[in-house]
Amino acid sequence: MSAQHPEGHHRVPPRSLAPVFLVMGKGGVGKTTVAASLAVLDAETHGLAVLVEFGDGESGRRALAGAHRNVEHVIIRPDQALQRGAAPLFGSAVVAKLALDNFAMRPLLRAAPAVRELAMLEAVRQVAAERPGVRVVVDMPATGHGVAWLRVPRQGRDFLGAGPLFEMCDRIGRELLSPGRASIVVVTLPERLVIEETLELCDALAREVGLPADRVVVNRVPLPLPPAALAAARALAAGGGPRGEAARSLVEALTAREAASAEARGALEALSLKQHAIWRLPLAPVDPSAHDVARWLRAEGAA
Amino acid sequence: MSAARKHPRGPSTEPLVVVCAGGGGVGKTTTSAALALSLARSGRATLIVTIDPARRLAGAMGVPITDAVSRVPLASARGNLSALMPDPRRSLRTFVEHLFEHEPEGRARVLSNRLYAGLADAAAGVHELVAMNLVAHAAARGDFEVVVIDTAPSRHAIDFVTYPERLAALLSGRTVTWLSHLAARATEGAAAKPSGGILAWGANHVEGVIARVTGPTLVGDTASLFGDLALVRERFVSLTERASRLLLGERAAYALVAAPTAAARDDALYLASRLEALGRAPRAIVMNRADARPAPYLRALREAAGVPESVLDAVNLLEHESASRTAAADALCAELARRLKKTPQVRLPYIDASSPEATVAALSESLDAHIDAMLPGL
Repeated sequence: MSAQHPEGHHRVPPRSLAPVFLVMGKGGVGKTTVAASLAVLDAETHGLAVLVEFGDGESGRRALAGAHRNVEHVIIRPDQALQRGAAPLFGSAVVAKLALDNFAMRPLLRAAPAVRELAMLEAVRQVAAERPGVRVVVDMPATGHGVAWLRVPRQGRDFLGAGPLFEMCDRIGRELLSPGRASIVVVTLPERLVIEETLELCDALAREVGLPADRVVVNRVPLPLPPAALAAARALAAGGGPRGEAARSLVEALTAREAASAEARGALEALSLKQHAIWRLPLAPVDPSAHDVARWLRAEGAA
Repeated sequence: MSAARKHPRGPSTEPLVVVCAGGGGVGKTTTSAALALSLARSGRATLIVTIDPARRLAGAMGVPITDAVSRVPLASARGNLSALMPDPRRSLRTFVEHLFEHEPEGRARVLSNRLYAGLADAAAGVHELVAMNLVAHAAARGDFEVVVIDTAPSRHAIDFVTYPERLAALLSGRTVTWLSHLAARATEGAAAKPSGGILAWGANHVEGVIARVTGPTLVGDTASLFGDLALVRERFVSLTERASRLLLGERAAYALVAAPTAAARDDALYLASRLEALGRAPRAIVMNRADARPAPYLRALREAAGVPESVLDAVNLLEHESASRTAAADALCAELARRLKKTPQVRLPYIDASSPEATVAALSESLDAHIDAMLPGL
């Protein structure tokens, strides 16, 4: 399938992209597939790329299945990230382990997610710092939670004022969450209400994290219908008999598609009006592979 | 199934709680609404609860996103359907107000604590707890025979049933005392007084390091927040127990919602294991976008005389898409059947509809025939 696109879309001159991509978006929009495909695309183009995933690594492994072997898949687990992030704070891995295993600290850390989020962002900072010149694509958690994560270092800095934890927050802010270091890639769907939420997300990112969205990936853009099909189907539907009846069902389905296409055009327009640079991916009836999506992204100028 | 019930169950009977679980993007919210609509149409007083309400669906059903139960004005619901769509952005405040109902000073301190603002995003499961308590409240009135709960779109959506124990443990006296002690040290920078041998000295040293690393502000605010929460520990535990009873009780039935995608497959398998571990094996699997065959009208048009080329192109496109979905759905249904041998599967077709209410109505019609198989003994 080739990436065809609705008419009437105005391109915005894109900002250049930073070494780290933070891929954001609400659940079910295809965020993980897009993140994996961006890593595949970079590995194809530059020989090497990193996909960072939080949690058990299952989603990333699935999305990368059979994809480019030069994609390094880094899985960051909360407990490991805590140990790793805490070692320099406490001066040694042994003291860090003792502190984290303290009877009161353990439940506290488990119930205070901000600490884990900070540790996981520190782990991302380290992954990027250890691999200069390599694109690092981070599959962030779904929307609301994702912004909350990125807010943590700023909040921590303002709140703490001084001390080793303050310095960690400050370092993450300077070396990871600043323009030139990380680019935000937001994944969305071409539906009116999803786009409204996406625009809210972009505002929150710019205002509260200090990172504007650099690219918006609009996933599952409906392909245009065969031209003239709807008009011809309507003509048939005016007739009687089984053919007319079948044509009426077709008109219903095609009308729904037309509506979806029109909504998608409106959604793309709304993004353009807000000066967002867009990459569009076509709607496929079943799961596209990371390779397919990487090819579509290349056609959109993402390489 | 008996025809429409004339007499709702008495208030002594707890409603059947149908929990729809599934990953993101499988059409779970729409399916839950369709299931609730089918149940309402069959004459059962039904409540649909959406944990993470989409404004689009709320609009389609004509109900507001608030903490109150609203009657769904759709004609097809025959007056038997109500909805509860609480706003996640308000839930932490609702929760704190509820917890501290009899502790106004503690409430004021918590609401002005600098950590509280950060908690709003981070306190996983709070919104679910708030929603479940609203459901328990509505269920206790005895107005509903069935409650359909649409969980948040995540494979971790049901994990919150296990949070209460963790949080309750956190509010135990020992942790709170330790935190206040730590706060005092962080503020005063008091020197450790070694006593009680090397282990005590080690623990003391670690505390000193923790206090130094985190700094007085963080430790002080944390200690104060937990001290206040400890005041309402009993109330907190009873709220969480209420939520657990509703979701893990005898009257809870789980439906796994999936779609023929690799992500949905993994989420469904993960959720099935989680539910089995909680002793609540799924009662049914609902597979969305799983056409068994292309719609018959497509074939009729392909075989009819005098159909123009452009229409045939459209027919081919739709048939091709439908066949791709069928193949993917067949493979996934077969895999899930091997893993969950006794769980009945319901396949729902892909709906080409131009509005959410039309999609809900179409899915609901497809579900009508399966209600008895999905929820035997209802």
